[in-house]
Order: sequence, then structure tokens, then C-alpha cells
Amino acid sequence: MSKLNQNLRYLFFTIPAIIYIGVFAFYPSFDAIYLSFLNNAGHFTLNNYKELFYFNIYGTILNTIIVTVGALLIQLFLGLGIASILTREFRGKKAFSTLAIIPMGVATIVAAITFSFIFQTTGGYANSFLHFLHLPTVNWYANTWISLLVVMISDSWKNTPIVTLILLSGMMSIPKDLYYAAALDGAGPIRRFIHITLPNLKSFIAIALIIRGVSEFNIFALPLVLIGYHPPLLTTLAYELYSTTTIYLSAAAAVILLAFISVLIFVNIKIGGRR
Amino acid sequence: MKFGYIAVIIFSIYFLLPLYILVMIAFSPAKYTIGSLYPPLTFKAFTLNNLIYAFTQYDFLHPFIKSLSVATLVGIMGLALGIPAGYGLSRLPGRIAYPILVLLLITNMIPGIVVAIPISAEFIRLHLFDTIPGLALVQELITLPLATFIIQGTFSAIPREIEYQARIDGASTLSYFKNVLIPSALPGIVSAFLISWMFSWDEFTYAVIISPIHPTLPVEIYLNITRGNELAAVAFSLVFTIPVIILTLFLQKYLKGEYLAGGVKA
Repeated sequence: MSKLNQNLRYLFFTIPAIIYIGVFAFYPSFDAIYLSFLNNAGHFTLNNYKELFYFNIYGTILNTIIVTVGALLIQLFLGLGIASILTREFRGKKAFSTLAIIPMGVATIVAAITFSFIFQTTGGYANSFLHFLHLPTVNWYANTWISLLVVMISDSWKNTPIVTLILLSGMMSIPKDLYYAAALDGAGPIRRFIHITLPNLKSFIAIALIIRGVSEFNIFALPLVLIGYHPPLLTTLAYELYSTTTIYLSAAAAVILLAFISVLIFVNIKIGGRR
Repeated sequence: MKFGYIAVIIFSIYFLLPLYILVMIAFSPAKYTIGSLYPPLTFKAFTLNNLIYAFTQYDFLHPFIKSLSVATLVGIMGLALGIPAGYGLSRLPGRIAYPILVLLLITNMIPGIVVAIPISAEFIRLHLFDTIPGLALVQELITLPLATFIIQGTFSAIPREIEYQARIDGASTLSYFKNVLIPSALPGIVSAFLISWMFSWDEFTYAVIISPIHPTLPVEIYLNITRGNELAAVAFSLVFTIPVIILTLFLQKYLKGEYLAGGVKA
């Protein structure tokens, strides 16, 4: 069998999966774009996009970006800390690494409901704790900023383990000799972290940011439970429009989300290609 | 390392705290939890009444069966599509395999809500809306890339010489798959199935749009919380979470950074 024939044979095995993806991912995506330009009578229109301005689309986009950036920063900070701990040997390391993965096993909806009990304005556990410390309690839904912060914190609990795992696999790949040499030269742990760990971890941080960034943009169940439709995010707005108005209008909101994700996918492939 | 241990303890509390609160609400009388202005941070009393009430007054069984059926179907379809795809990708040269892997990766990134809205319209027409196969077909989008990456990884570890040897001995592709490839990659294949199962079990976005009338468990939990049946939501959450945490710990080995990062090895 020639090399080409053989490759064709192997390619043949991947065809069912590729067809599946075409039918259930790419066709609906184009369908969404198509639907977003239709009105109820099935004619071409730009009205759906114009109408989105009544629903404060700029504010919605801004909220989505704020949640994404904020949640990424929290997860990166915590992930770096936890991964650094897990690269060392200590008693109870196995138990700790098991604990550190547990939130991954908790469904998003369960995490959302649990955090809704924590951040209730009356009868919430966060306020209970503040009260216990004799500190003033907080209205967690007083304004957009604090509501978005609640979403970021709750989401970070659930997703920090993924960031930790990605960063940990990066830290494991850094040669130990570098650290020994730096230690001999008198570099302390903080300087070793800044001058060895961070530069060597760059591409892993980039992967973690892009993978989580895409997911943060798509964040849905958690804000739906915690803050409902106010302040809106791109996903909750699309869902609200889907359940209350027309499929065409909700498709327009979804397409705006898709546009942002497409940029992130493009960046991802660029970074992926360089590796 | 003293400082390290303090960090370990703080992080451990951080990871366990929400689960502790969930368990506390589930097993405490409501007057100490959701009925209290400043609910106590420690257990005050123990009761099973919340759970008994939730499971007798609200429908747990139907959503449970739906979640179970959909997740199992998603797992099976993941293998049906993922085993051949994983095999093909593990044998193709990088310049052909890589674009296909990128295609899978992109699929994983397309927003659920973008895909779900037009599909719901199509499914109503095709009578797949609110059905078990319909939801499973859509949820497969999340799990297929992951399943394929895991299976491809385990197949790559099997030397090609074994395949050539099997061919020389006259084995057909099918018998090579059945007698050699699949048995030696079994741990990876089982993990791919279980991880697919787990992702479908947890999935919310597609479920709430494609299957809102006969919901899966996550959607049922959400509906209960919006209707104010908080104790039912907590009780269902607890029962719903325990098997997944056990599975997660069991599958720890396969939940590696590189698979989660989309399988493209860094």
C-alpha cells in the first residue's frame, strides 16, 4: 500500500466525527448568523441588530468583558499559588491535590446554587461571617460591580482547578537544575519564581488564559442563578430574548457573542501554531 | 515550609467551604439555615426531614432517569465516533492530524447558546425537541473532542509494529480492532466514556434550551430554585453531586492539563 493510500485510509476513520461536527457545530453557527438577519416574515433585515441597542448591548458586552477579565485574574492568581505548592514535596500532598480537584466534580448548577446561599443579602453565609466578625454586612446585589464580582468569585471556585492543572503541567516541565543553579547563586524563592518559573511558564499561562477566556465569555448557568438577567451578560441576554421575544432577535445576540469568541479562537490558533 | 502549610490549610478551607455549606443546609432544620437572618456557621442540629420532604414532594425520579439516559447515550456515541477518529488521528502524520485536531478544538469553543438556539428550531421540526436522543446528539459536541483526544493519546502509545504483525498474520481491520487495539487501550477508552458521561450529567446550557419540558437533573434543580423550592434544590444537588465527585477522583489521572487544554500537547 502506498503512503498516500494509507493516509487516505486513516483519514477515512475520522470522517464520521468530522461530519458530526459539521452538522451539529458549524451548520447551526451559520444558521444562527442567517437567522439573525431575518424578520418574522422571513425577509432580510438589520432590525434585529438595531433592536439590540434597546437592550443595552454595549453595557452587556462590557459586563461580559469585565467578568471574563476579573475571573481570569482571580483564577490565574490562585492557580499559580496552588500549582506552586503542588510542585513541592510535603506531608499530605496527596490529600491536598485531591482536595484541589474536587470543585471540578461539582456541577456548575450546584456551585451556582451553593454560592447563591453564600451571597444572599439576607440570610447569606458571607454576611453571617461578616456579622460574626462584627463587620458591616454587604448588599451583594446593590450595583452592577458587586454583582459581577459575586459571579467572578463563584466561577473561580469552580474553575481554578482547571487552571491549576494546566499551570502544574507547565511547572513540571521546567528543569529542576535551573532552580538549583539559581539557589546556589543566592536567589530566594520569590526571585526564583519571577526569573525562572514565570518566563518558562509563559506559553502555559497563555493556554490557560485562552481556554478559560473562551469559557468565561460563555458563562451562563452561574450568572443565571446568581444574578438572573440583571446585570445582563451576552449569554443571559441571548437566553432571555430566546424565551421572551423572537428566535431572530436572540440569534442576533448570540451572533455578537460568536463574533467575540471567533476572535479568541483566532488568537488561540495563532498561539497554538507557534508552539 | 511553615508558610506553605498555612497556605495549604487556607486553600483546603476554600475548596471545602461551599460543600460544607451545602451539606449543612441539606441536613439542618430550616430555621438554622435558610430561615435565619444570620445563619450559624456550624451545625446546630441534624435532620433528615429536608431530604425526605424533597424526595417525596418533588419529582426527582423522572429528571434523574432522563439525565442517566442522556449521559449514557452521550458516552456511547462518544466511543462510536471517538474510537475511529482517535485511531485515524493517532496514525496520520502530524500535518494532516493537526488541522483536524484544531477543528475539534474549535468545536469545543463555539458557544453553546449560539448552537442551541437554531438547533432548537430545527429539532421542533424534526420531532427531536425535548427528546433523549436529541439532547444527547447536541451534548456530544462538548464531549466528542475530549473523548477523541483521550482515545488518540492511548492509541498513540500502542506501537505500530503490533498492527503490522497482526496484518501479516492475516487479521482484518475489524479483528485487529476487536482483539488487539481496543483491549490494550481499554483504560483510556473507559475513561473517555466516563468523562463524556460526567460532562453530559453536569451539562446545563443545551439541556435548558433543547429539553425544557422534561428536564434533566441540573435543569430541574434550576427550576426548583427559581420556584423557591430551595430545600428541594439543595437535596437534589447533594444526591446529584456525590457520584460525580467520586468519578472525578477516580479519573484524576485522565483529567490532565493537556487534555483540558484541548488535547494539543504543549
